Amino acid sequence: MTDLLTPFEYDYMLKAILVSGLIGGVCAFLSCFITLKGWSLMGDALSHAVVPGVSLAWIVGLPFSVGAFIAGILAALTMGWVKKKSGLREDAVIGVVFTSWFALGLLLLSLYPSHLNLKTIIFGNILAISDPDILQVLIIAGISIIVLTMKWRDLLLYCFDEAHARAIGLNTSFLHFLLLALLSATAVAALQTVGACLVVAMLVTPGATAYLLTDRFGKMLIISTVTGALCGVCGAYASYFINGSTGGCIVVLQTLVFLLVLFLAPKHGILSLRKLRRQTTQTMPQSRIEKSGCAS
Amino acid sequence: MIQPLAIEVSNVTVAYPNGHIALRDATFTLQQGTISALVGVNGSGKSTLFKAIMGFVKPISGSVLLAGKTVEESRKTKLVAYVPQTEEVDWTFPVSVWDVVMMGRYGHMNFLRIASAEDKRMVNESLARVGMTEFKDRQIGELSGGQKKRVFLARALAQNGQIILLDEPFTGVDVTTEEAIIELLRALRDEGRIILVSTHNLGSVPEFCDHVVLVNRTVLASGPLEDVFTEDNLNRAFGGVLRHFHFESSTIQDHDGKTVKLLTDDERPLVFGKDGHLEYKDRFGREELVKKRKEEVGE
Ligand SMILES: Nc1ncnc2c1ncn2[C@@H]1O[C@H](COP(=O)(O)OP(=O)(O)O)[C@@H](O)[C@H]1O
Ligand SMILES: [Mg+2]
Repeated sequence: MTDLLTPFEYDYMLKAILVSGLIGGVCAFLSCFITLKGWSLMGDALSHAVVPGVSLAWIVGLPFSVGAFIAGILAALTMGWVKKKSGLREDAVIGVVFTSWFALGLLLLSLYPSHLNLKTIIFGNILAISDPDILQVLIIAGISIIVLTMKWRDLLLYCFDEAHARAIGLNTSFLHFLLLALLSATAVAALQTVGACLVVAMLVTPGATAYLLTDRFGKMLIISTVTGALCGVCGAYASYFINGSTGGCIVVLQTLVFLLVLFLAPKHGILSLRKLRRQTTQTMPQSRIEKSGCAS
Repeated sequence: MIQPLAIEVSNVTVAYPNGHIALRDATFTLQQGTISALVGVNGSGKSTLFKAIMGFVKPISGSVLLAGKTVEESRKTKLVAYVPQTEEVDWTFPVSVWDVVMMGRYGHMNFLRIASAEDKRMVNESLARVGMTEFKDRQIGELSGGQKKRVFLARALAQNGQIILLDEPFTGVDVTTEEAIIELLRALRDEGRIILVSTHNLGSVPEFCDHVVLVNRTVLASGPLEDVFTEDNLNRAFGGVLRHFHFESSTIQDHDGKTVKLLTDDERPLVFGKDGHLEYKDRFGREELVKKRKEEVGE
């Protein structure tokens, strides 16, 4: 029994668990918008595109998150610009731009090693997070949470019906930029927890899970945030025992929850949909399924 | 001085970024208390004209004035409400009927968009007006085509828009709902609003519109229904696309008299003659049929 409490005796474990929970929650909150807006690919792109900023910030002596955030925003602007000028499809533009930024990041990091090594940035290493970096994460998470709780209704309307949002006088360019900025910021905050490769999972999976469980956006936000935070906490905690990558643990856990919901969700789950289909066919007279009963 | 409500579009030319000129030199005026139809084939620039009225595209020349103000100035007054085309809406979105109608109130709410008692009252009233109160907790995808339209109409009411733009409102809507919507539009007109309905559905226009704007990459004609809705104008607007059913050249015969039934969903009309005979557009190639009919009545 006491064995289960050992992770809490280590300062670094305690920090890792709390930070993972916080990041998991914030990313999950945002994931509701990302999944509904169809920006999952964009999330993946930005989480890779922030990498050169980490290196450049280190070279100029800025906090890494400032550099990474700016790099993310610049990458998003480049994508918008290339798309407009080239007329290429969005996925092609994202593919071209984010890989270039990521490659630039790899190059810079190999030439000018920063306080975060390449492996940490790509795969995350929350157990070794320094106190100043925790502070940066706390600030980013705090600001994101405040902005999101104040503006979620506007963002929802923007994602749902941009034309109406504009017609009633909302500044949709600002909302578009705000969503991009939040995406960059949370990608930066999640960098050390799960690494650039897996950030997108934190920014998509909880939202996708919650989407299957409810038809109301307000509830979706709550379910997603709670799932994200719990997976963060439990994943970090579990990683102590199986001695595996924390980021890997968190994301695998999120995926397991998603799969569970995909099958068992009361309304949109595969099993209940199948049941519903069976019931509808059963009520129709002379259907073959009715004769064979519930044999399956 | 309070300007009377009106839409004044003067010499508007709209070009899209790819250089395509969707509208050239469009001019028309709509007065308060009218239901107007914006009629034209697909691609004639109906949606573009809507976008210009809402300020989503900036004309490269000309001006749009709403109640005497530019589109940007009038946006603060939330004057214009827009009912989107059904295909433009993501129906899988996790929002309920109530949520969507409440979105009409956002412009009237404070910074945090927390609904006041007045907002809720307006939403309830709007839902009641379109007869959707009992569906208020439904997810929007779980509605029929007509119900979907009514939800967005309720949103326009909740917004208290004085200029209501409806893009193709009768596509995918059953006849009863169409009539209910028309009834509602008439009531809104009588309250002094301007209703502008885009449609390529000719048959419904004389039913409920008092003003017509004919477009084909420009405004061909604009004015009272009787003046504008002439065969000549419609031929100009629709060119070769219009489907004709000339009774004299069809398989309908003289002895059918006036007992002809014409059914249409505004694609091709389906015509039944006397005794429920199916009639064809051309006699040509159907000489056998014509002869048989003649024999039947013993002519
Ligand atoms: N965003 C756009 N970019 C370029 N061309 C467009 C765009 N939207 C519409 N068009 C073109 O402008 C013309 C008018 O379109 P639209 O106003 O949507 O017609 P309607 O609504 O009458 O069917 C069409 O030829 C269409 O291809
Ligand atoms: Mg259109």
